[in-house]
Amino acid sequence: MALLASPAAHAQTTQPRPDTLTTRAHRLPEARVRAVRPERFAVGSQRVELDSAVLAQYRGGTAADVLGSRLGLYIKNYGPGQLATISLRGTSSQHTAVLWNGLNIALPTLGQNDLALLPISGNTQLAVQAGPAAALYGSGAVGGAILLRTEPDWRPGLRGSVQADAGSFGLRGGSLEARTASPTLAVRVAASYRQAQNDYPYYLRLPTGLARYTMQNAALRHQWSFSPDLAWRLGAAGELTAAAWLTDADREIQQGTSIAGSNAREIDQSRRLVLGYRRATTGGGQWAVRGAWFEDIINYSDQGAISNSRVRTTQGQAEYTAPLGQRASLRVGAEAQHFAALVDGYGREPITENRAAAFALLRYDPRPGLRLSANLRQAALPAGLAPLTPTVGLEWDVRQPAVFDSLAASLTLKASAARTYRAPTLNERYWRPGGNPDLLAEAGHGFEVGLRHRVGLARQLLLESELTAFTQLVDNWVQWLPLGLNGAYSPRNLRQVRSQGLEASTALRLRQGRYQAAARLAYGLTQTRKTQGVAVDTDPVGIQLAYVPLHRVNLTTDHQWRGWLASAAYTFTSFVYTDASGSDFLPSGGLLGATLGRTVALPGRTTSLTLLVQSTNLLNRTYDSYPARPAPPRAYSVSLRFNYH
Amino acid sequence: MKKSLLTLLLGAAVLAGCDPDKETGPSVPGSPGVYVLSEGQFGKGDGTVSAYGINSKALLTDAFGTINKEAALGDVVQDMGIAGAQGYICVNGSGKVEVVSVPDFRSVATIRRIPQPRYFAATSATRGYVTAWRGPYTNYLPGKVMVLNLSTNTVIDSITVGRCPEQLTVANGLLYVPNSYDNTVSVIDPATNKVTSTVTVAAGPQTVVADQGGNLWALCSPPYGTTGTPTLVRFAPASTAAQLSLPFATGSPAKLRIGPDKTQLYYSYNGAEYRMSTTATALPITPFIRRDFNGFAIDSRDNSIYGAVSTGYTTNGYFLHYPAGGGKAIDSVTVKVGPNGFVFY
Repeated sequence: MALLASPAAHAQTTQPRPDTLTTRAHRLPEARVRAVRPERFAVGSQRVELDSAVLAQYRGGTAADVLGSRLGLYIKNYGPGQLATISLRGTSSQHTAVLWNGLNIALPTLGQNDLALLPISGNTQLAVQAGPAAALYGSGAVGGAILLRTEPDWRPGLRGSVQADAGSFGLRGGSLEARTASPTLAVRVAASYRQAQNDYPYYLRLPTGLARYTMQNAALRHQWSFSPDLAWRLGAAGELTAAAWLTDADREIQQGTSIAGSNAREIDQSRRLVLGYRRATTGGGQWAVRGAWFEDIINYSDQGAISNSRVRTTQGQAEYTAPLGQRASLRVGAEAQHFAALVDGYGREPITENRAAAFALLRYDPRPGLRLSANLRQAALPAGLAPLTPTVGLEWDVRQPAVFDSLAASLTLKASAARTYRAPTLNERYWRPGGNPDLLAEAGHGFEVGLRHRVGLARQLLLESELTAFTQLVDNWVQWLPLGLNGAYSPRNLRQVRSQGLEASTALRLRQGRYQAAARLAYGLTQTRKTQGVAVDTDPVGIQLAYVPLHRVNLTTDHQWRGWLASAAYTFTSFVYTDASGSDFLPSGGLLGATLGRTVALPGRTTSLTLLVQSTNLLNRTYDSYPARPAPPRAYSVSLRFNYH
Repeated sequence: MKKSLLTLLLGAAVLAGCDPDKETGPSVPGSPGVYVLSEGQFGKGDGTVSAYGINSKALLTDAFGTINKEAALGDVVQDMGIAGAQGYICVNGSGKVEVVSVPDFRSVATIRRIPQPRYFAATSATRGYVTAWRGPYTNYLPGKVMVLNLSTNTVIDSITVGRCPEQLTVANGLLYVPNSYDNTVSVIDPATNKVTSTVTVAAGPQTVVADQGGNLWALCSPPYGTTGTPTLVRFAPASTAAQLSLPFATGSPAKLRIGPDKTQLYYSYNGAEYRMSTTATALPITPFIRRDFNGFAIDSRDNSIYGAVSTGYTTNGYFLHYPAGGGKAIDSVTVKVGPNGFVFY
């Protein structure tokens, strides 16, 4: 795929465009059974999406790389290729739901995802929706949701690419992608491989002065991703989809620089299969069913100490979406999950657990320029019903330009309110000792209001800005404390945590002849504090939570001209506390990454070659990504891609 | 809402880009003082020894780092002992013993490659012993007592003992080493560095102390994940069997100490500190101080009492200073995460 050479590609983050549904009759998108995305019911929420051109630059990388540097989201990272978890709107790593093709792929044991285990190559779309959204995305969508998707490409013919990568500190990798489509069948296969020695230099202060060391036991021995998917149109009204995503990583686990003698290693394997069928009804409605099977394996060992876990998740979803008159659509659905876990920490016997949920989503556009949504989900968990989680959202185009006036400004007011929940994880319920089967789901609620502004400054220059203020509360926040039998650590519903802040972004897009440019500046202010607790929970009230930076600034810019590509991403993060007392901290600092690329068409016009040179930590900042985990210095990588199109 | 938003914005403007100041002090407060050990958060390498001036009430939170070019002391500060004018700090997670001069805390040497060092004891100003665990959790191997030359600060020998040797003591010219994953105390003759006998006590001896009469007391608590009866055991110097066994009803007694005059035992049990005479034949029923101490010591200079309170592994802990004989605390001082012990200087 000559993504870089393609004039249609926008190498930038796109804000969701104001929906144009209200300008025409409120019917489902096509007679063909194109999926109705859950986003349609997320009116008034903050959402950013990375397009395929940006994802193509990160093809050898993982979700951790993209979300941190491209979107400036805070990633708590233990080192290159090591555990990387996200904090969205000040919440913990268990408070961001990660969905793949509409299915929650959080590890059922931990209730979170290691973003370093989600290679970018496995998906064609990546979006982040901030804020509580359990009605749409289920358990864990407290701080927000990361939405990964493989979308069928119905363009006819065969396209594909093969890429090889090499970089600093023993980085080697490769990837391939091929897609083809006929009028009734679209098939895509993508695979990627990566390894890295991560034997980079770092410095430690000793009583004798600064000493240079080389990082040990931090290698990414291998990381595979294989993701075939297909979409098959069955008649005029039906579509069958099947997708698989297999990932396999073998990592040495980097310990703190002052830990002696560890040779920890972890194997992470996930197998995810989903089969779906959608069918349009004659009344303009659409029903869809999906079945999925996941297997997640984590095998950890350190100096003979072994901890293995395997969880199999079987789940089904069914939903029906119907137009309600000309201006509304309603979706109702249900889902069920069955977990079977064989985990060393739970004892010898396998553990099983079932969960179910029902939901109703309503989108209503009462008049042009006004969009409303109201959603509801009720989940049933083994320990009882989860909190009922409604969501309401509004978008109102305060100023709407005439259809033909491309230079006029549009201004949209948006607001939403939601309740949300997080189901207790299997570890929280079954870990021995300490597991607490009576643990309640965490409950949360939040509000956000904001403005979206869009103006054409000149015929080729578009400025889009968005400002959002949010406040949200998580109640029954789970904390492990030594309250179990014989002082064992046990999870309890103890805390209340409030998070509030601002998110501002402004993006400029320019297209002049063969030159295309984009720049986006984003700022996030996130204040997150424990507001209530109990005496036994000794973390103080009123102090910014550990690993939540108060300020984040992210600046990205992309330029394309003829076959050239230049791109840079800068992220500033203010200091983060590393304990609950607010005494130790990682200092503030900025990180710059950049990409330079050149695509050359090969004779015959159906093939091209792309060369990419990338650098991370271009300013060569010395910093710890986590206490006692020094990050790599400036590093380079080179990629060569052969495109067929 | 509006007001809180304004506060938020103002706060943001003030805080933008500014990192907090790091707490530092100029030097170790003058004697008499107490070093307070804080384990730190595992993996962060932020274990500390704080130095507190008893008269000046001055606190140097991270004595090692402040005095030694901001060097990190390491992971899990477990124990410290003083021999002559040198302090020996067992840094468990870092597999090393840091040697500092006392009281100024200047780094003298680092003794590396001691697997999972636990506790230090010295038989003279030139000879020290450190207990060391070997093997991973539940698959422990017989542990070692590392023999240190305190003049050269090197390991000169090692003695194999039982599994997970813990807080050893020097008494009657011998070393008594409790093997906390077994039910034994190894007795070592420092003249030969050989195990001369093995005393059978109860499951999980963690600490051995010697009383005024030369008898030894071992506080035994079954290892994590096993069942059994916690027991306080007394044995005579030349005997290999218990002389007196006092079982506890439930719970996990820990941190056996003996007072400066060696006639009173102290231990923590069920969230309180207990005191027991060495002549008693039954466990005390009433707590001495109703606090859950993670570290406890009596200053022989004035018999005042220090108790360390650990508030979990994400928040800074503190210690309390009590007058001789207990009563109401005189002082409460915040130190780093996980305070667990005191050494007087």
